Amino acid sequence: MIAHLLRRLLISLLLLAAMSFLTFWLMHATPGNFFDSLKLNPQISAQTIADYEKLYHLKDPLVVQYGHWLLNVCRGEFGYSFYYNVPAGHIIASRLWNTFILSLTSLLLTWGLAIPLGIWAALRHGRMADGVLSFLSFAAFSAPPFFLAMLLLYAVSQWGILPLGGMHSAGYDRMPFVDKLIDVARHLVIPAVVLSLASIASLQRLMRGNMLAQLRQQYILAARAKGLPETEVIYRHALRNAFNPMVTLLGYEFASLLSGAALVEIVCSWPGLGMLMLTAVRSKDVYVVMASMLMGGVLLLLGNLLADFLLVWVDPRIRYGAKK
Amino acid sequence: MSVPSDPKTFNEIVASETSSSAVTNMLFEGLTTVDPFTLKVIPCLAQSWEVSADGLQWTFHLRKDARFFDGQPLTSADVVFTFNDLIYNPGIPSSAKDIFSVDGKIFKVEALDEHTVRFTLPVKFAPFLRAMGQAILPKHKLSPAVKDGKFAFTWGVNTPPREITGTGPFFLEEYRPGERLVFKRNPFYWKTDARGLLLPYLDRVVFLIIPDPDAALLKFIDGELDYIALRGTDYPLLKPQETRKNFTIYNAGADFGSNFLTFNQNPRSNPKTGKPFVDPVKLAWFSNLNFRRAVAHAIDKPRIIEIVSNGFGYPQTGPMSPSSGFFYNPKVKVYDYDLAAARKLLAQEGFIDRNGDGVIEDKQGHPVEFNLATNAGGGSREEMAGMVRADLERLGMKVNAQTLEFNTLVAKLMSSYDWDAIVLGLTGGVEPHFGQNVWLSSGQLHLWDPKQEKPGTDWEQRLDEIFTRGVQELDEDKRKVLYDEFQAIAAEQLPVIYTVLGADLYAVRRKFGNLKPSAYGGAWHNIEEIYILKDQ
Amino acid sequence: MHITLEAFGRHKAALACFWVLVALYAAAAFAPVLAPYHFADEERGYSYCPPTPVEFLDNGRLAAPFVYGRQLTFDENHRRVYLIDKTKKYPLRFLGGGRLFTVEEPGRLYILGADSRGRDLFSRLLYGARISLSIGLLGVLISFGLGLLIGGIAGYYGGVADAFLMRTCEMFMLVPGFYLMLALRSAVPDNFNSVQVYLMVVVILSLIGWASLARVIRGMALSLRERDYVSAAKLLGLPDMVIIVRHILPHTIAYSLVAIMLTIPGYILGEAGLSLLGLGIQDPVPSWGNLLSESMGIVHIPFAPWILLPGLFIFVTVVCFNVVGDALRDALDPMMKEI
Repeated sequence: MIAHLLRRLLISLLLLAAMSFLTFWLMHATPGNFFDSLKLNPQISAQTIADYEKLYHLKDPLVVQYGHWLLNVCRGEFGYSFYYNVPAGHIIASRLWNTFILSLTSLLLTWGLAIPLGIWAALRHGRMADGVLSFLSFAAFSAPPFFLAMLLLYAVSQWGILPLGGMHSAGYDRMPFVDKLIDVARHLVIPAVVLSLASIASLQRLMRGNMLAQLRQQYILAARAKGLPETEVIYRHALRNAFNPMVTLLGYEFASLLSGAALVEIVCSWPGLGMLMLTAVRSKDVYVVMASMLMGGVLLLLGNLLADFLLVWVDPRIRYGAKK
Repeated sequence: MSVPSDPKTFNEIVASETSSSAVTNMLFEGLTTVDPFTLKVIPCLAQSWEVSADGLQWTFHLRKDARFFDGQPLTSADVVFTFNDLIYNPGIPSSAKDIFSVDGKIFKVEALDEHTVRFTLPVKFAPFLRAMGQAILPKHKLSPAVKDGKFAFTWGVNTPPREITGTGPFFLEEYRPGERLVFKRNPFYWKTDARGLLLPYLDRVVFLIIPDPDAALLKFIDGELDYIALRGTDYPLLKPQETRKNFTIYNAGADFGSNFLTFNQNPRSNPKTGKPFVDPVKLAWFSNLNFRRAVAHAIDKPRIIEIVSNGFGYPQTGPMSPSSGFFYNPKVKVYDYDLAAARKLLAQEGFIDRNGDGVIEDKQGHPVEFNLATNAGGGSREEMAGMVRADLERLGMKVNAQTLEFNTLVAKLMSSYDWDAIVLGLTGGVEPHFGQNVWLSSGQLHLWDPKQEKPGTDWEQRLDEIFTRGVQELDEDKRKVLYDEFQAIAAEQLPVIYTVLGADLYAVRRKFGNLKPSAYGGAWHNIEEIYILKDQ
Repeated sequence: MHITLEAFGRHKAALACFWVLVALYAAAAFAPVLAPYHFADEERGYSYCPPTPVEFLDNGRLAAPFVYGRQLTFDENHRRVYLIDKTKKYPLRFLGGGRLFTVEEPGRLYILGADSRGRDLFSRLLYGARISLSIGLLGVLISFGLGLLIGGIAGYYGGVADAFLMRTCEMFMLVPGFYLMLALRSAVPDNFNSVQVYLMVVVILSLIGWASLARVIRGMALSLRERDYVSAAKLLGLPDMVIIVRHILPHTIAYSLVAIMLTIPGYILGEAGLSLLGLGIQDPVPSWGNLLSESMGIVHIPFAPWILLPGLFIFVTVVCFNVVGDALRDALDPMMKEI
């Protein structure tokens, strides 16, 4: 087991390196660098821009720049953001928490609602309630999220019950702690709802599908024949087996915790990583992009590892190395 | 209020964009400032000044009561430090350096006593007083960073807000990245009102960072914002709510700056590949003055204003905006929307549709086809480019529209020169000389044919002369004659074809006293005098 | 396969959705005939004109269908108001100039209203359908082609080839799709005309999606290669590629078909996302994505709500694909159990 883990780790590191090089290359494959936007300012001379470029080593050959970056990463320094004039790690860290809260809320909403809904739908399979819920689910994951966000914001603006975008109200820092929690919660509603809508719908259908598959199995028939109470049949037996394979999904969700959804963040003015990454990619703030991508990659790999681990833990039939 | 993006830095010297200057303008001041109504230079940190007879020596007498946020008084040492150690420091990239040099020569800055500073210029420099709005930074706080060579990275956005020390009416109390900036009144501010009370009146000012203009609009409507810069298309939504939501909409006139379409007239070749930057067939069209004039007549400015700005716009006829005041020259050649005139000019030059396919060909039979680029994410600029494209198609030209990332566009304009036509906008102000990078033939922003070794045409040569003389001419009326000619030449020769300027619209909640909105300074130029009315 | 169609047919909703999709694709195919106007046909005096109802009564008497003229005015809040001018009647014309129906000039027929430059939204939706609906199909074909091939090869050969290919897959999956898309889009040379840009967008979108499919196919291929008929084929001396393509891959069709149905919506939404950033299909060529991004403005909701219709069209299309895909999956379930 340990050997296998180590091997996985090594491969993951190699993957990360390969991906980071790919990203780095991509960012430089297109002409121009960050300081091109400065060139359009009539008051800045060519010499000044050349000075900036020298300051940030932008004219060195690609491999050299990449090498510098890699070395720095090993030392824990993630390069510099041209856009904000601060270390890249710092600017990401400041947005990290915001995206994390949003994703976590989204995650909780999704799993908290989807599982019960899925079970409920499975139990009412073939009846109208199931049909209605199915329809709503399809609707939910078909709407373009940013469009939905805009419509929702407009609707809320007419009723005035929730704040419209942003994360904190103006007097936030002077609020007592409980009020602070409530304030952030109120701001979370719209973006979290929009983001989780699609996931709730698809997860719910998955849960329902799995439940239905289990309920058709022989052992359920046997359990009922044995005279077990229905609730026990459903919740202790069918549910457990239906739920197990979905546990691996949790691993993947872990990875998406910090990816952020750029477009929804922009429409809702949520100060998160998504918006940051988008601006960084568009303005060629290379090191911010590299750092976020690295972080995303690490989380994804960790998530995969977690998912695989959970699968083994939960399903005793699978053991690594047992392939033919 | 809202700003569309985070400041990139609090370091005024290194800062290069407007998102940062909105912030630094609250925190720092210069020796002079500009009266937003008369547009003339007035005293700020310097209470008076003299200039020698030859125009080369300027002596400034600083106020004795100006103090930084930490209570330290402003002295001439700070002024000298700002120039000699920061702006002129070869190790620090700064755009101010280019403003304060003429022909590459810098000014000599020395302190005569604690409150007197003398500037000795190598040649006469007319915009000098205006440029002295340059922010003065504190020596006592920043000289250690300069000595360490770390200045360029100092006072970035990760600095504890209270570290940023200036002399302005407000200091930075809090900065939440991606969310907001909170400014608190400077208790040491030097200005007092007529009754001797210390300004500013306002206790706090909050800037919310909202990239999406629709989101800002919603926040203004629901009361979170007290001020918002409007787009013309927002007007019908806001206007009916003026009384109910207690605000007033102001129209401050035309925006500053310019919006235009320009063609690539670069006759040179890429030294590495030997290929010309512009296809010679296309170059022949773009260099043809009547071709450009026809295009100018074909741009449907009235409809562009009506559709893009919802009627709140002004046709632009030259490089300076009507709001720039003294130096604006309205008497230049104007190209009205006139398709017949456009077609006539084209036919005159041999651009006719000879084979009936809907596309005109030049005299050699090449169909007129070219690319039109603009930058993505500009909202109204993309719409404007789309309309220009449709206008040109009516003339029978085949135009391929492309929206590109801003950086890619700039790289084309300034490095690779591989573009045909671009729709773009530039910032601008009151002082024509600050546009020199665009109009000097050697300028890197001389978009249609940048960095020429010597002027390619007679009129470009004349422009070089105008700019060289204009900057050194201290008599304002004589300057006006020169710059009037510059604007006339620009309209006559059309290296860039101007389109429309938007109107500067903003809405302010009716809770403020002493509000005196102006075109140049917006609503908040006198922010230190503004107070909140009772019962608000 | 006949099991499938029967099972599928029982699912009424899916059937309805299927026909909706067929109708949409047919409308797209016949856009130049069905649309009263070319997509770039501007009439700036009719900017944001509301839908123009077709009139059948002329002063109380039956008449051939026609449209009234309209005059643009601005009210005191600078809002557009179109005054109907009953003195100007423009009859409808049928089958004129290759189009099913148009209106006599200078009248304008706006079935679903006009956009900012007076272009007919209905026409633009039809032309836009051609782009958006085909992007989904083409993109999916490319990425599935890639995914099937690579997954099949990896699963069949196993060993080093498998490990290498799968690691490549994982690497592609690591890069956040949206940003990869942005970066690739910036690399497109800008002198491409709209058709070429369209193709590039398709290619870019498909490069994002092939990796996850490849992994699944590889899993299936891994188990399939142990089957008897595969061993038999090998014994017969058939070349590997033939075995992969003609024996293994067809058994993955069931899964692939379902996955295709469920992935196409992603492409449509991906194109919409690109357009929102100004990097999708360029004006004046319409796509539902760029029509959607034109509609993203709060002021449109009260003043020009018809502009938001592209969102509805995208929504309906995506729902239909999802319902059909889901029903297909249910119908194919017993077959999948074999594998």
